[in-house]
Amino acid sequence: MILAQQLLLGLLIGGLYGLAAAGLSLVFGVMRVLNVAHGELIMLGGYGAFWLAALLGVDPFASLALVIPGALLLGAILYWGLFGFVVRAHEETRVKNSLLIGFGLALALHALAVRLWTADERSIPTSYGGAVLSVGELSIPLVRLATLVLALLLIGALQLLLSRWRWGKAIRATAEDWQAALLTGIDIRRAYLLAFALGTALAGAAGTLVTVAYSVSPSIGLEWTLKALIVVVLAGLGSMMGTFVGGLVLGLAEAASAATFGGPYREIVGLVIFVVVLTVRPRGLFGR
Amino acid sequence: MLEIRGLEAGYGDVPVLSGVTLAVGAGEIVALLGPNGAGKSTLLNCVAGLVRPPRRGRWAGTIRWDSQDLRALDAHLIVQRGVALVPEGRRLFGGMSVQENLELGAFAPRAWAGRRAALERVYTLFPVLAERRRTAVQALSGGQQQMVAVGRALMASPRLLMLDEPSLGLAPRLVAAILEALVAINRDGVAIFLVEQNVPAALSLAHRGYLLEGGRIVGEGSGAGLMANEHVRRAYLGPLAVRR
Amino acid sequence: MTSGGHERRWAAAILAALALLALLPLAAPRDDVLNFVFLILLAITLAESWNIVAGYAGQVNLGHAAFFGLGALVTRTLWTDGIPVLLAMAAGAATAMLFALVIGVAAFRLRGAYFAIGTLALGEILRTTVGNVLPQISTLPAATIASYRLTQRYYLALGLAAVSVIAVTALATSRLGLGMRAIREDEEAAEASGVGALSLKLTALALSTALAGLAGGLFAYYHISYYPSHPFGPQWTFDALQGPVLGAVLYVVLKEYLALHWVDIHLLIFGALFVAIVLLLPGGLVQATERARAVLGGSRRAA
Repeated sequence: MILAQQLLLGLLIGGLYGLAAAGLSLVFGVMRVLNVAHGELIMLGGYGAFWLAALLGVDPFASLALVIPGALLLGAILYWGLFGFVVRAHEETRVKNSLLIGFGLALALHALAVRLWTADERSIPTSYGGAVLSVGELSIPLVRLATLVLALLLIGALQLLLSRWRWGKAIRATAEDWQAALLTGIDIRRAYLLAFALGTALAGAAGTLVTVAYSVSPSIGLEWTLKALIVVVLAGLGSMMGTFVGGLVLGLAEAASAATFGGPYREIVGLVIFVVVLTVRPRGLFGR
Repeated sequence: MLEIRGLEAGYGDVPVLSGVTLAVGAGEIVALLGPNGAGKSTLLNCVAGLVRPPRRGRWAGTIRWDSQDLRALDAHLIVQRGVALVPEGRRLFGGMSVQENLELGAFAPRAWAGRRAALERVYTLFPVLAERRRTAVQALSGGQQQMVAVGRALMASPRLLMLDEPSLGLAPRLVAAILEALVAINRDGVAIFLVEQNVPAALSLAHRGYLLEGGRIVGEGSGAGLMANEHVRRAYLGPLAVRR
Repeated sequence: MTSGGHERRWAAAILAALALLALLPLAAPRDDVLNFVFLILLAITLAESWNIVAGYAGQVNLGHAAFFGLGALVTRTLWTDGIPVLLAMAAGAATAMLFALVIGVAAFRLRGAYFAIGTLALGEILRTTVGNVLPQISTLPAATIASYRLTQRYYLALGLAAVSVIAVTALATSRLGLGMRAIREDEEAAEASGVGALSLKLTALALSTALAGLAGGLFAYYHISYYPSHPFGPQWTFDALQGPVLGAVLYVVLKEYLALHWVDIHLLIFGALFVAIVLLLPGGLVQATERARAVLGGSRRAA
């Protein structure tokens, strides 16, 4: 495969990396909770789309209309039942507890998925699945292109919500200074709830797009948590668009390294970039 | 009417306030003076709900506003009841514009409906903010930021406005501007509870004042009375007192 | 150090229990009993090792399996090449510790969540790399299998558990331990009082990873065949986290019981249990340790 083609494919998956990271970044930025089970939520979103397609014949892109509200609800439940308690502690305990809880939740959800649906990879075959757009020497898989466009649209929609919606502004304010937010009359726990629900919704959407463009299995959880973490650290907190671009950068970097060093090391380059950026510039490339 | 009786509070196991009793009546300007570390900020934070009663440890006394116990309320609900705090160091939302910061001040549902009118009132009080309404607050000068902070608190249409060291780090000219604004605000019927290290400034507009030292109220009196008070003059007015 | 007495009494109790367990093989029990206790001992060592960084440097290390895996990798390689197992284990521990110190300087510049995810990533890097470089299963040669004696492994596990308990207790009651706890409480204040935070954190990390490496070596000595990347998996970090949360003993007991009867979902139950416990214990990890110890040891501790 020529390099340009590989880079293109890297770009296409990079959009999904960005979407995956956006949800994580939102939650971490607002609540200072790093949900290391974020990847499992993506996985669940993917299975949601898969079963809607397999059992009810719902087109995967259309199923976004069902997965996103479902994920919003799941996020709210997880907040009420779990993470909402963690935020009551002060910062240091909160971080530790949320990490441990996320870790435990991730393992539990992974085991649940294996139990319910086996460890097999699943994908959603569609009539348009093989469609390809040829531009010169490049073949652009249309489904993957569509996922990139949708990822961009979803992030754009999030950005709009955060800047125009009254509660979106409240979420941003809470992320910046929760005490000042309280003093202006913002119920920060409601802001946390909304942020967590939105983050989960983004994860669910990402999962759906991942499944339709690639495949889903219980083990994609940890994989995608790490991708999201890498992008969050690369891009820093505070800018959704920055996070999206960070995702594209990761996708390109992986493609470049696979082209240079070979397939198995594709995963490693991301993690190595991650560790390097963490140590050199923990606040990320675009972070404040 | 804000009534504090026998308040004992602290952070964790560290006691900061012991048996504080004071009151702020409707329409009054009351100053709270005292050295650093006396507990003035803690007192305001207690009223505003930022310092919550711990599950264990000491927290005694009452904080009543309109005969309602504020200790049981979450901070954002206290704002909705009409008590707004302008915190020390302003604590603005740096990345947002002046207008966005001000609007957030009216976040509470009832205030949100009337926010345009409230915004106009703030812009009338601080015309320079009207010119810069779309500027990000982190690009403003200290004095302008303080105006935004005060304006933001006003957006909630409070009946009691509390300020924690509003003059800190500001040039005298700007301090005077802020004080003038406070007088205007008070004339509209808003009571003011002011914590200030700049004693002459505070006492120049306060009707009454309290002296807080080491977590206890050690003195109280009218503005003029405190100004003339021997202890106050020696401790807080220094060479100024001699020149008088 | 007022807590010194508690720490020592607790350690003495565990060592006494271990001493009793030393007599177990003499009662000629079945292999599955010895295996069961072996797993408990391994879990204790792993949990104690993880808790050094968490309890004393105040950081959550989500990549602890990396050091367990490194110890296993080096030990297995050297031992199957003919090096005496104890030497191989020591080399494994040294490798783990060296790796930790090399990345530690950079890693400790991160705080809280960043440290956790940084270590998580590190663990994954190692697991994936080892999985790529050594994809085949590692099986002991027939001669070694023929001369395999469970009791040797058992006593080694016992010794290692004892060493880890002694090491942690000695640390807790030493000046070093006091300094570390000061860092955990408030790093800036500790620095201001002359406590060299970084070197103390590195010391904690060195001890933690050396023990984890030894545990890994034990793993390599014990198992007849396994995939080289297996000990690097996040499952082992989860095991290490159990100490302060469920208590290593309780964890292994429950795990083995559940694995027997609820094969498919024991991990699910564990995850849920783990989450519930973390939630229900306010004040987090440290308090959990103290409470778990109080519950397991039946002793009263000042909170």
